[in-house]
Amino acid sequence: MSGNHIRVIRRAAWALAGVFIAALAFADDPLVYATIQPAQILLGESAQFTITNLGDGTNPITMPVVAGLKFEIIGRTREVQLINGTTLPSSSIVMRVTPQMAGIFTIPAVTPRAQPLVLQVNAAAGGTSRSSLARPAAPIPPPILSGASIPKGVHLTDDGSAYVRLSVPKREVYVGESVPVEIEVGMRSGFVASLNGLPKLTDDNFALNNLSHQPERTEKLINGEPFVLLTWRSTLAVVKPGAFSLSAEAPLTVKIRTRPKQESSLDDRFGDPFWQNLFGATVPKDIDVKSPPQELTVRELPAQGRPADFHGAIGTFSITSDVSPTKADVGDPLTLRMRVTGSGNFDRVDSTMLDHLDQWKTYPPKSSFNTSDPIALGGMKTFEQPVIASKPGVQELPGLTFSYFDPNTRRYETARSAPLSVSISPSLADSRAAPQALATAALADNKFAAGLRPDHVETPAMSSLIPLYLQPKFLAVPTIVILAFAAGWVSARRRRGAGERQSASDRIASRAANRSLAQMQAAARAGDVGLFFDSARSALQSLFAARWQLAPEEITTAELEDRLGAESDIRELFALADEAKYSGRKLTATDFARWLRIVRRQLMSDKAI
Amino acid sequence: MKLLRAALVFCLLLSSARVHSESEPAGYSAAGLYNLANSYARAGKPGMAILNYERASLLAPGDPDIQANLSFVRASAHLPAEMPDTLDRVAKIASPFWMSWLGVFGLVIVGASVVFGQLSSRHRLARAAASVLGVTMIGLTFCSAVALGSRLHEGVVIAAATPVRVSPVPMGDPLFSLPEGEKVKITAEHEGFDLIQTRAGRAGWIANSNLAPIVPR
Repeated sequence: MSGNHIRVIRRAAWALAGVFIAALAFADDPLVYATIQPAQILLGESAQFTITNLGDGTNPITMPVVAGLKFEIIGRTREVQLINGTTLPSSSIVMRVTPQMAGIFTIPAVTPRAQPLVLQVNAAAGGTSRSSLARPAAPIPPPILSGASIPKGVHLTDDGSAYVRLSVPKREVYVGESVPVEIEVGMRSGFVASLNGLPKLTDDNFALNNLSHQPERTEKLINGEPFVLLTWRSTLAVVKPGAFSLSAEAPLTVKIRTRPKQESSLDDRFGDPFWQNLFGATVPKDIDVKSPPQELTVRELPAQGRPADFHGAIGTFSITSDVSPTKADVGDPLTLRMRVTGSGNFDRVDSTMLDHLDQWKTYPPKSSFNTSDPIALGGMKTFEQPVIASKPGVQELPGLTFSYFDPNTRRYETARSAPLSVSISPSLADSRAAPQALATAALADNKFAAGLRPDHVETPAMSSLIPLYLQPKFLAVPTIVILAFAAGWVSARRRRGAGERQSASDRIASRAANRSLAQMQAAARAGDVGLFFDSARSALQSLFAARWQLAPEEITTAELEDRLGAESDIRELFALADEAKYSGRKLTATDFARWLRIVRRQLMSDKAI
Repeated sequence: MKLLRAALVFCLLLSSARVHSESEPAGYSAAGLYNLANSYARAGKPGMAILNYERASLLAPGDPDIQANLSFVRASAHLPAEMPDTLDRVAKIASPFWMSWLGVFGLVIVGASVVFGQLSSRHRLARAAASVLGVTMIGLTFCSAVALGSRLHEGVVIAAATPVRVSPVPMGDPLFSLPEGEKVKITAEHEGFDLIQTRAGRAGWIANSNLAPIVPR
């Protein structure tokens, strides 16, 4: 055998050995494939990811790792299929795939020779209908951007699994200004298990406004490694002046190798999560990835030249105004609008519009903001103010002004709008409008004209429509009448009461006098002088006590002598009464009659009074 | 003699009040308001026409022409007819002016009867009859006051399809709308708006440029 033959035979042997080894490898390699149904879903829904192993099923199947997708095993099946008379065992793992964000996700192939799967996740409010989701067409995978080197501003973590980049377009801002910022989180495919929250700023003096929960998702090759990039756009608000070092951070869960790097160089060389998972050499770990710090200077707004109507708006703005309707009656509300357009901190864009205007009644304005910008930096704010004219004629609403601070020119600016003209007609509510004016404009041929009774002859006018009995000045008349009669009634009542009291007293005195006279007559008939004079004296004491306003005991002989004289019959009667009481004096019938007559005359005369 | 003197003073008081009320400058007359209402009706303004008929009716509630034209315009404007109650019928007996003095005269009769009863117990039947007459006069005046007094807080919608809003601001949400000429009760006022209540009990705010009170403010 020649040397050439030997060389050929050796090469053939090596080739056969290679083919044999390859055949062995392919013969031992079970048929593993994966499917995902459906290929398009909405955010909030789940898809079914199935890995099927046509073989003895002894090979371990690991969970795929895709940033933004959550995989959960929901079932395992094992069955035997009969294909062309050959029994073929198979096992399947069914997983539920739940997206954490919208975007197009590439699920790595389960074997090196298989194709990766693509899952498209649409935002829930994105308008993608169910019917479009039901279409069987496979989504187009997103293009993977090539990047030969690390982009500017990117600092990978030590293990090269992730980075955070903060992009601020300015280095000098003003307190209250809204500055657009961009935060990009790069996650190496297969090395980052999950993003555990929204990115945030490390300095409390700054605030991120309108940070979207739905970041923009792209894929990019950085240093030859595939990265998933999530980008948030927001506005930065600063609360106090000073010099600051600003950075952003994002919480991630990464897979850390448990073997030395030299040993796992094969993993990196393959660059495929399948191989990494196949060897099972990683553990998850939570880390916070920070962006490189950026220096930012925050300045106070200048106090000089600040307009009186400045409310804190910073940016670039312009205004327009209009009023509707332009023709109205007195008392009708008109709507005055001012539209502020531009870009800046619209949350501080405010205006009182027309605060006070002669011959107009103004109300506080309401505002609404429309923006097509997801971070609300640009847009249009509309102020609507109701105004009511109080005087007819052609009226002019003065031009409106809006003051703001322009950070580009670094000074306060005032935007102005043109004055507006409106035509105001007299109101129908003016009840004293002259009927003659109406008569000239009368329309005889309307449905109200026919059937009306004729006009009346004018009569003297009254000062008020309020009925007379409800007018306060008239109410004085019945009040006076009532008071007058009440006074008369009280007076008459008093007089009548006094008369009644006197009559009662007289009746009592008369009855007492009659009783005394009866006793005296009885004593005279019995010849009892003592009882006769006692009764007479008692009756007269009561009589004179009432007449002289004295107590009855005070009516004595001496008192009677002082008041009536020593020759008085009454004094003599009192003296005889004392004498009869102690001496036992006798009287004749004539004497009884005489003294009875004297006493009766006294009592009767007093009764008459 | 005293009664004669009191009657003389009363007559002087009545005549002076009559002269005083008629000597006021530039006011309202039932005929003037009625003619104004007719003018508005001919001009096709049912709201203002009804408003002025209502005002004329306050001064002359018993005027048949006012009532007839008011009913006609309300019907032409497709507004429901108003059914007068007993108090309304009493109010139509005489004008509020004469009703006022009728009430005062009734007070005088009742008062004199009571005072005379205190002074003397004679003529009891005559005094009782006088008291009944006086109380009747006062009652008629009272009924008239109740009937017309309620109109002092009413207004008439003077604009077509006037929106009734939930709050007293021009941008307030509309609750419902009222036709021109509808009569409503005004219960409050705020910043150019009136809080009204319809006969059906619905309430809301109306811009007072669209509503005219029957008794001007």
